[in-house]
Amino acid sequence: MTGALRYEWMRIRTIRSSYWMSALAIALTFGITLLMGLSISAADLDDEFDSVDQVTTYIVLAGASGPFIPVMAAPFYAVMGVMAVGHEYRYGTNKATLSAIPDRVAVLAAKLVVLVAWVLASIAITLLLGMAITWLLLDNPQFGSHLVRPLLNYTGYCVGFAVAGMGLAALLRNQTGAIVAALTWPLVVEPIIYGVSVAISETTGGGIGKLTNLLPSSAGRRSMFDPYEAIAGFGSIEVWSIGAAVIVFWLGVILVLAAGATSFVKRDA
Amino acid sequence: MALIQARGLSKTFGSKAAVRGLSFDVVPGSVTGFLGPNGAGKSTTMRLMLGLDNGEGVTTYDGVPYRELKQPLRQVGSVLDAKPFHPTRKAVNHLRMLAASNSIPNSRVTDVVNLVGLGDVANAKPKTFSLGMGQRLGLATALLGDPGTLILDEPANGLDPQGVHWLRNMLKTLAGQGRSILVSSHLLSEMALMADSLVVVGRGTLIASGKMSDFISTSNRNAVLIRVENAELMTRELRARKAAVVTEPDGKLAITGMDSDRVGGLAHELGVRVFELSNREATLEEAFLDATGASEEFRASMGFGNQGAAFGGPMMGQQGYGAQGGYGGQPGQQGGYGGQPGQQGGYGGQPPPGYGAPPPPPHDTGTSQDGSRRDGDTA
Repeated sequence: MTGALRYEWMRIRTIRSSYWMSALAIALTFGITLLMGLSISAADLDDEFDSVDQVTTYIVLAGASGPFIPVMAAPFYAVMGVMAVGHEYRYGTNKATLSAIPDRVAVLAAKLVVLVAWVLASIAITLLLGMAITWLLLDNPQFGSHLVRPLLNYTGYCVGFAVAGMGLAALLRNQTGAIVAALTWPLVVEPIIYGVSVAISETTGGGIGKLTNLLPSSAGRRSMFDPYEAIAGFGSIEVWSIGAAVIVFWLGVILVLAAGATSFVKRDA
Repeated sequence: MALIQARGLSKTFGSKAAVRGLSFDVVPGSVTGFLGPNGAGKSTTMRLMLGLDNGEGVTTYDGVPYRELKQPLRQVGSVLDAKPFHPTRKAVNHLRMLAASNSIPNSRVTDVVNLVGLGDVANAKPKTFSLGMGQRLGLATALLGDPGTLILDEPANGLDPQGVHWLRNMLKTLAGQGRSILVSSHLLSEMALMADSLVVVGRGTLIASGKMSDFISTSNRNAVLIRVENAELMTRELRARKAAVVTEPDGKLAITGMDSDRVGGLAHELGVRVFELSNREATLEEAFLDATGASEEFRASMGFGNQGAAFGGPMMGQQGYGAQGGYGGQPGQQGGYGGQPGQQGGYGGQPPPGYGAPPPPPHDTGTSQDGSRRDGDTA
């Protein structure tokens, strides 16, 4: 396992796309945070937010604690996850990798560990910059315990995207296909399912809208809302708790990773 | 310096068997050529040997399967693809990455980069590399751990003549140091210069394994050529002594089953004037085509003689050339092509299932496989 970790650490450090993806994720988030910091003032409290706590969270997370601005960094981390395995298939390095490290579980575990560590470091930079901007631009920002839950779930959401991307690449063994799947699912498929379910539910009054709780990406997105109860729901649809949302999100991620890992370990190189 | 023992390697893709019960050895101190037509299962076999594909059978390196090797790059080096690297990762970083996985020091990376002649471009990105440079980088990868065993799939592809020359010398030098080297190639002329032994496969099954010289000697292109005054008499007398005779387009008789001393002696005995007497030796290419056919629809396995016996040489305890029956030749004729009278198999045997109809036996009239006229032609 040590050899696999050394290999993967060297791998991720020696391709430019690792740096580009992280830099874009950080820069984009930073830009949104900066714009928010400049545009939101205490005067907005009465209209949009209940407290300075919520404003602080909103700016630090670049709007991720509300329903309208997507987590811009997540797709970049998903692509990073795809590349962790997808490069092996795209450039035919998987045979060289598995010749050097025949233990496939170790190879995949090392990729997972290094990828998560890299993404966590990127998120840490993102959040520190977000806090710095918030501290500079917002009057009397509140960096209290109220930040912990949205911040942790934001981090989990980004890490989950990276892990799911890795799982998709291992499952599909095709980098382009995995990137398309990683981006299409949260940005196209789930919104369509969500919209259709809500429309049917609103029209018929049936309980089909509850199924939206099972959409993993939406659940992960909801888990960082602040305040959760006020904005997580939609119309008459009953929304599950934050804990349930977190579980649904990670179940989705683990399912994709497990499928990919099984393929990676069992199939021919 | 590992002894490679492949036993019962089999692999199917859907209902198609790519490799079927392949067994052979590669001994230390030799370059063993791995030959077969396209689609014969060479690359699949190599992947099976390295544990990259799931299949049946086992390959051991001094008794240890690949997946159980600790730091495998230090024991087995391999190149399976022409350019197996990320196009924008510097060549030296590609090697350092692989070296890191097996605790190989960076100083060794510098050594192998220089060894394969890429020292000047070590910090370049492989996307700028030619196919030949890519092959050199692949070879550097294989040599990283200074392994006792090398498994190389078409390593000469894309190399210029100097590169091929360099590769040949390097592999022979490495083999001379006691390493076991298995190398596949379609460059048969190059293989003839490089390899000491051969493993020949067709449609996933073993056709032959053993010393290259022994393999070539089984070719039906090997013959005694004689140009005589009375070809008809000579032919009749040769056949009476169970030699096979084919009349070449230039009128010479091509004789198999009798050596030149005996042919010359017979001519003397018959009082036939001899204008020319020589031995025609087959090339590796000719022997290969004999064994596998000139096209994908290769004809038959080698009909060498000793059924199931090892061919001799360093590869002990494995299938011999006669293991799969012979060409399906002359009814009642005993003894293999080049074998001893009375032995089973060889020319008189039946071709393996699916290998197509056997070619006409040597005594048949008509045109032979190579277009020459057989004796007795009326044209």
